[in-house]
Amino acid sequence: MGDIVVEEQIAELAAQVAALQESSGGGAAKVTNTMFAETFYYLTIPLMIIIHAGFLAYEMGASRLKNVLSSGVKNILAFAFMIPTFYFFGWWVYWAFPTGLPGAPGPAGISGIDYANSIAWGWGESAAAMGPNIADQASGVFFGAFALFAATTASIMSGAVIERIQTVGFVILAIVLGSFAWVVAAAWGWHADGWLVTEWGVHDFGAAGLVHAVAGFFALGVLINLGPRIGKFNADGTANHIAGHNMPLTVTGLMLIIVGFWGFLMACVIVPGEAWSWFADKPSTIYGTPITLSALSFNILMAISGGIIGAWVMTRDPFWMMSGALAGIISTASGLDIYFPALTFIIAFSAGILLKPCADFLEKRGIDDAVGAVTVHGTIGLYGVIMLGVFASGFPALQGAAGEAPTISLMGQIVGAGVFFLLGFVPGYICSLILRIVGMLRIPEGAELVGMDRVKVPAEGYPEGIPAPAVVLDPAE
Amino acid sequence: MGFPYEEASWSVVDGAMFMGWGSAMPGIYTAIAAGICVAVLIFGQITEMRKARQYN
Repeated sequence: MGDIVVEEQIAELAAQVAALQESSGGGAAKVTNTMFAETFYYLTIPLMIIIHAGFLAYEMGASRLKNVLSSGVKNILAFAFMIPTFYFFGWWVYWAFPTGLPGAPGPAGISGIDYANSIAWGWGESAAAMGPNIADQASGVFFGAFALFAATTASIMSGAVIERIQTVGFVILAIVLGSFAWVVAAAWGWHADGWLVTEWGVHDFGAAGLVHAVAGFFALGVLINLGPRIGKFNADGTANHIAGHNMPLTVTGLMLIIVGFWGFLMACVIVPGEAWSWFADKPSTIYGTPITLSALSFNILMAISGGIIGAWVMTRDPFWMMSGALAGIISTASGLDIYFPALTFIIAFSAGILLKPCADFLEKRGIDDAVGAVTVHGTIGLYGVIMLGVFASGFPALQGAAGEAPTISLMGQIVGAGVFFLLGFVPGYICSLILRIVGMLRIPEGAELVGMDRVKVPAEGYPEGIPAPAVVLDPAE
Repeated sequence: MGFPYEEASWSVVDGAMFMGWGSAMPGIYTAIAAGICVAVLIFGQITEMRKARQYN
């Protein structure tokens, strides 16, 4: 009898030790996963800052010598204002309006004005989620990744308007675009409760429409009111090519943007195993549909290649070839989670082919887009959103049971593309019109002629000048 | 092209999940992509040589 009691006690003790070991090991695994998740998004932030290094180099290279530093100042300042304004209200907009106005809560329970009030203001109880908090290892890195998406939209617009825009007017436009316009697009089309997703099955995994097209068409709205640079168009309407002062810098900048895109697209993935994750055991898109980093690797590389090759066929110009690389990624970004790599290559190749004719189309209509941003990001962004509707119709757009989850369709993607166009173009046009009326949009003609560096910047880009070429490039000389 | 599984739900997916999986399309896409590469190289060589000969 005594032996039986002892055996029972030993068995009970063994069970307790096993449970303790399991909870201890499980706890360690949980901490490791949480640290991994936090690090994953943390690392996307410096990678996305490389996008800004790229845009900085690209814009400065595309500027003439007399404007090189002022273009840089404008770009740097856009980044600097984007972060605090996104902190002040952009993050709140994203969580408040997925279901549209008036900000009602959605079925996933992570949207609506009440929810946004509880996590996204920098005061009151919600400030606990907007500052250092040992119990919250997610909010800061999510905020950081989204703030960098916002800054990317401002940089996209920045290149289009170089060499004639006022600094403060530009910063105001950047804030409207980066901390409001694209955020509304993200709430509607890049959130599990977004009405474009739940009602139309819109799928835009890599933000071809809600970041790139919104920013590109916002820039178009601004360009219409801003007007072309002096000397861009002749009296008969024909266009002159205004070369930047440093093509190698521009091309290197474009390559840096490509590097940063890996961080941008990495930040579009929801890691598994956390309380806020869609799955315990596999990564997902922001819609809760499955994705792998391997899918991204296959498809991003094929997209870059297809875009470069398509642009080379049409132009032979390294500027357009590297723009083709961007166009390749943007044209397939909506479906990088589900495209087959060879199909990605074909679509990206077609985007590379389309690029220059689309830019020429705008130029013939009097639009002076100094770096082709409207075409690369706007036109190709919408092209990408619609192409996904052509090839991916029938795919579930959300996690959910068959028949309950909306599916991707061509009509849904067209509706999404239309909404993204309007969310970019309308605010861009209206805000720049107001700035033009109050005299805050364009610098005076004399200042433009003498160069914006002399007017705005107490420094010189090349104080010792640029050496003359050592090699005679013209065979006739 | 459609979802490559009978039931339009991600819960039934435990493997390949790209467009065209289970059909001939991946092979066709691969052949087209390879054809584009070859055609571009041929076109590029012809046009570049035509331009280069102008400087002879």
